[in-house]
Amino acid sequence: MTNASGVEEQTLTLPSEQEVEKLRAAEATWSLSFTLNGESVELMVDPTETLYDTLRERLRLIGTKGACLEGECGSCTVLLDGKPVTACLVTSPQVQGRTVVTVEGLAKDDRLHPVQESFIACGAVQCGYCTPGLIVSAAALLAHNSTPSVEEVREALEGNLCRCTGYTKIIDAVLEAAGDEPAVMSVGGEK
Amino acid sequence: MTDTLYYQPKSVDEALQIKAELGAEGTFLAGGTDVVVGIRKGKLKVARTIDLSQVPGLDGIRRHDGFLEIGAMTTHKALEQHDVPAALAQSCETVGGPQIRYLGTVGGQIGTASPAGDVSVALIALKADVELRSAARGTRRLPLDEVFVGPGKTVIADDEMVTRVFVPLGRRSDFYKIGKRDAVAISLVMAAASVGPAGDVAIAIGCVAPVPLRIKRAEALLDARGLSDEAVDEAATIAREDCSPISDHRGGADYRRAMAGTLTKRLLSRLREVTPVKAKPAESSAEVA
Amino acid sequence: MSSGPPIRRRPTGPVRPGQQPQVNVIGRSIRRFDGKGKVTGETPFGGDLAGPEAYTALVIRSPHPHCEIEDVELAAARAIPGVVAIFTGDDIGGTNRHGLIRRDQEVFSRRARFMGDCLGLIVAATPKIAQRALEAVKVSYKELPIVATMDDALAEGSYPLHETGNVLSTELIRRGDADSALAESDVVVNTETRTQCVDHAFLDREAGMAYMEDGVVTIYASGQWIHEERRLVALALGLPQERVRIIQPATGGAFGGREDISIQIYLGLAALKLDHPVRIEYTREESMIARHKRHPIRIEYTLGATREGVLTAAKVRILSDEGAYASTGPAVLRKAVSHCTGPYRVPNIHADGVAVFTNNNPTGAMRGFGACQLAIAYESAIVELSRVLKIDVVELKRINLLDDGEGVTTDQKIPVVGVRDCMEAALRRIGWDKRSYETPAPHLRRGYGVSTICFGVGYGDGFPDASRARVRMADDGVVEVFTGGVDFGQGLHSLAAQIAAKELGVDPLAVRVVASDTHRTPESGSSSATRQTVFTGNAVRLAASEVAGQLLDVAAAYTGLHWDDLELRGNAIAAKHDIAGHEDRTVVLPLRQAVRLGRERGYALDVESCFKPRTVAKQKGTGKSPRAFITYMFASHVAEVLVDIETGEVKVARIVAAHDVGKAINPQQVEGQIEGGVVQGLGMALMEEVVSEGGFMKNASFTDYIIPTIVDTPTIEALVIERDDPEGPYGARGVGEPGLIGTPPAILGAIADAIGTQVHETPANAERVWKAIKRSERAGDGASA
Repeated sequence: MTNASGVEEQTLTLPSEQEVEKLRAAEATWSLSFTLNGESVELMVDPTETLYDTLRERLRLIGTKGACLEGECGSCTVLLDGKPVTACLVTSPQVQGRTVVTVEGLAKDDRLHPVQESFIACGAVQCGYCTPGLIVSAAALLAHNSTPSVEEVREALEGNLCRCTGYTKIIDAVLEAAGDEPAVMSVGGEK
Repeated sequence: MTDTLYYQPKSVDEALQIKAELGAEGTFLAGGTDVVVGIRKGKLKVARTIDLSQVPGLDGIRRHDGFLEIGAMTTHKALEQHDVPAALAQSCETVGGPQIRYLGTVGGQIGTASPAGDVSVALIALKADVELRSAARGTRRLPLDEVFVGPGKTVIADDEMVTRVFVPLGRRSDFYKIGKRDAVAISLVMAAASVGPAGDVAIAIGCVAPVPLRIKRAEALLDARGLSDEAVDEAATIAREDCSPISDHRGGADYRRAMAGTLTKRLLSRLREVTPVKAKPAESSAEVA
Repeated sequence: MSSGPPIRRRPTGPVRPGQQPQVNVIGRSIRRFDGKGKVTGETPFGGDLAGPEAYTALVIRSPHPHCEIEDVELAAARAIPGVVAIFTGDDIGGTNRHGLIRRDQEVFSRRARFMGDCLGLIVAATPKIAQRALEAVKVSYKELPIVATMDDALAEGSYPLHETGNVLSTELIRRGDADSALAESDVVVNTETRTQCVDHAFLDREAGMAYMEDGVVTIYASGQWIHEERRLVALALGLPQERVRIIQPATGGAFGGREDISIQIYLGLAALKLDHPVRIEYTREESMIARHKRHPIRIEYTLGATREGVLTAAKVRILSDEGAYASTGPAVLRKAVSHCTGPYRVPNIHADGVAVFTNNNPTGAMRGFGACQLAIAYESAIVELSRVLKIDVVELKRINLLDDGEGVTTDQKIPVVGVRDCMEAALRRIGWDKRSYETPAPHLRRGYGVSTICFGVGYGDGFPDASRARVRMADDGVVEVFTGGVDFGQGLHSLAAQIAAKELGVDPLAVRVVASDTHRTPESGSSSATRQTVFTGNAVRLAASEVAGQLLDVAAAYTGLHWDDLELRGNAIAAKHDIAGHEDRTVVLPLRQAVRLGRERGYALDVESCFKPRTVAKQKGTGKSPRAFITYMFASHVAEVLVDIETGEVKVARIVAAHDVGKAINPQQVEGQIEGGVVQGLGMALMEEVVSEGGFMKNASFTDYIIPTIVDTPTIEALVIERDDPEGPYGARGVGEPGLIGTPPAILGAIADAIGTQVHETPANAERVWKAIKRSERAGDGASA
């Protein structure tokens, strides 16, 4: 894109689709396969990108959010082999051969996960940006502990920041969802 | 040197071979809680990443020969859920949120060498050793408090990897952390202390020096005089004197120095009593009643 | 006290679809209609709209807080394959300026006044290439003297940041004769309060996309007032209004932080120049460095009283750090000064406010703007007075709180003053008379604090503040509401649906809301200043009731019944009461049929209305106004804390927050607003602080800028008090800001109660509390360790 006449002039000739495609392909040099929401996925990634980037940019699963991208907010929480982790701190090659469940994988056959239902019913959703991460964390808790105490709910969700709700209705929602059948609470992907 | 920026060895030997070739340019990727942030922010641009996720045998906890042997890739969460000394469990519980604790590893904590490393401070106060391994020289074992030399700096050689941590069993211990909030907080000041079966004391304080600081002068005093009120007060004074905190956006040097003494006294007083009580203030009186 | 207005109980359980009755929808916790998309992750926010097919834009920012840019060397960056274009001020067709009150900030700047100033815009094929290009840009610049603090700004010979100097604006209040009244007071206390710079820390970073469609620059980005944003984009780029379209995607919080323009002009310029989809997404660090913040304010407060505790006079001096640009600063300063005595009866007031420029982040709108800083100051003075007079703080408040019909700081008489009701309800709930000071350990102290605060709703002071709304019956019989008002999580769009549903007798979840699109929706003003419930709520109600009237007319003509005997109920027009031939209140006409009949008879069934209440500008020389704001809200919070007197750590054990909201149209959402405000207030009270040194921000990340987690959050009990407001829809007043305003003074009061001395600087973090304890020990009073 340099131009002959000097630095101040710039040509606004847009690169062709093929050029852009080539540039993108040059970044994706690593072959990756893993299980995502119950299905096998194989794709090429940039080895220094994170699972957060791969999910959103390459697989276009936008439910995994990212408020900080340094592991502080929990908005990008996904289940890696059944355990909640922040997708922004996991390089994509690290998930080779492993199992990932995102918020998109929680609803079964159009039936919302009980935590998703209770978040709506209890008013635990305001802006909704933190919501998917919170729901993944809460689902992970309830998969192991169907009757958590308020303190256990707080501990399980301490890594998920919310700036709107004041957390009170989030606790209500997790407690409301608790007690449902273990089968319903299964989130899958555990080793 | 190749242009490869990312390596994914399948064994410890392969990992050590790569590390030996890359030297200082190679960074081990364990849990990723620091390294991946570094990659994203461009801080590790020239460095090459050696991803240990596909290397078996580096995690796990076992009791052996009077020690708790902890594999370097053991996560904070695994330690938290295992029967480990109190200070170690408490320090692991205060690292990040659950999502960080499921990723972050004890080896990564040591390799990062942060003066604010909660688990490092607890391990030093527990008189833990660390095992390092290289392809060329095999393994060596040294006390953890001899590993750190500055923020992000250690005596770990460019071709070495942290493989195991050895924590002596039978020490009573306690940990206290002051952060800017009650969860997912980098420590403002934190400390750990332990008492051995023979009554020997160890104290370590974080965020008050370029490295997690062991207060050996106070330990010697207490070993000689026991945990009397006067000795504990003197130990607290020594802790204040021997630290060299800085002021930053989290807090002032004066406060950190004062807290080095306060936490030393608090931990020693508790260890003198019974089993450690819960560190944080209790909930509302209404809920207690 | 057994009487008093009703306190709404927490809903006993969630309301599920199908259970919702179709009458009495006001006052019911209707589910918000955007819930499902948000819990499944399907709802796209600004950063979710475009994928890799769009170009990525990145902003080149100033390397220094105050400098003249000599050269921006772009050749190396332009040479990188995949760099599409780099724009600077030479490429922009319009004014190249923005700013809400003054257009004082350049889009592309040649002189940077803070670290967030923009020098140019890189557009590249991928984010990685854009990043490499940014690193290849070399900026040479001449450093100018840094005006780091308010004292620097006011110092003799300080370097002027703007042509007008370093004072942005001044405000005053003069009522009675404060100096004489203070001289005659039995007791006078002095406090100095310093509040900190706070970041909004909404989770959804600034992100969006733009493309050209039929010659129209179409921008998807999150703001708080899309029509104003369109004006700013059009002016900056030199385009007619109709060639700019702004559509607001789902928005992850705002809290005032989206009032100033952010990415909109960059996106518009790139799409316009390149005719290709472009996306932009700030990093968290960039979001914090570029965005305006809450004003740090220093308040010197002198308060006088009689021996019996009757307030006599207040003398208040307010100094506010505006940062580099005006933003909404003059309005925030007016808010601060006009709320400087809160909900108290103070006959003599002498207040002065000065707003000064520095090289820090511009400061502007944030929840509670101005009013929350002053609440910390006046409540601190009240606590001090209580200590000196040895009168319990609650008794002191009972003596001095306003009653119905009395005047606030500006002497505006408020017909319905709910503050006493709020305080008594909160005290009852916490069990004030039986409160315990027991603690589990000797180094812990327990304390309780009570705040009483007020807040004027809307922009006020004569500003032409208006909301418009359009309601129409679609051909399929569905009620459609069009509002330009934006919803960033507070639930405005669900509220609009609920009001239309009430007027038209339909299920709120069946209402179709068309919102936040400058090409399709009428201007509804800003979603700020707690104005939308009253403003857009009223506008929707007016439009919907007019459509309802038309439908009744249609039905009356069709049935031969009188329209006054008919009502809209259950998706139909029905008899209001027993009338001949229609016993049992039978349905006379299904809604869908009424719509068809109406169309046939030429009824539009499509009404746009405007709610534009008059406020009165402040009087010159006194700052008084008979109607500075259309209405006021009142609240009282009670906080219980435990303080570790050896470390200074504070744990909030419990907060009761009582708010007179007029009428809770959706109680669950009202509680949600209060609870959210409380936790932001807790953050401001105890931990949040943007730390800058010489104009360089030291903690521009979520690792270092700390907001409360769920573990820091105590049990919050939101009490909703309802005393009808004459101005609001169904008596509603709104609820956005006060939830935050009431919390810091309650927590600070509780800390003072626990340790026997006040912390006068926020946040009251462990270090500051510990230092206050040490100071007090040296002075020989207060807690002894």
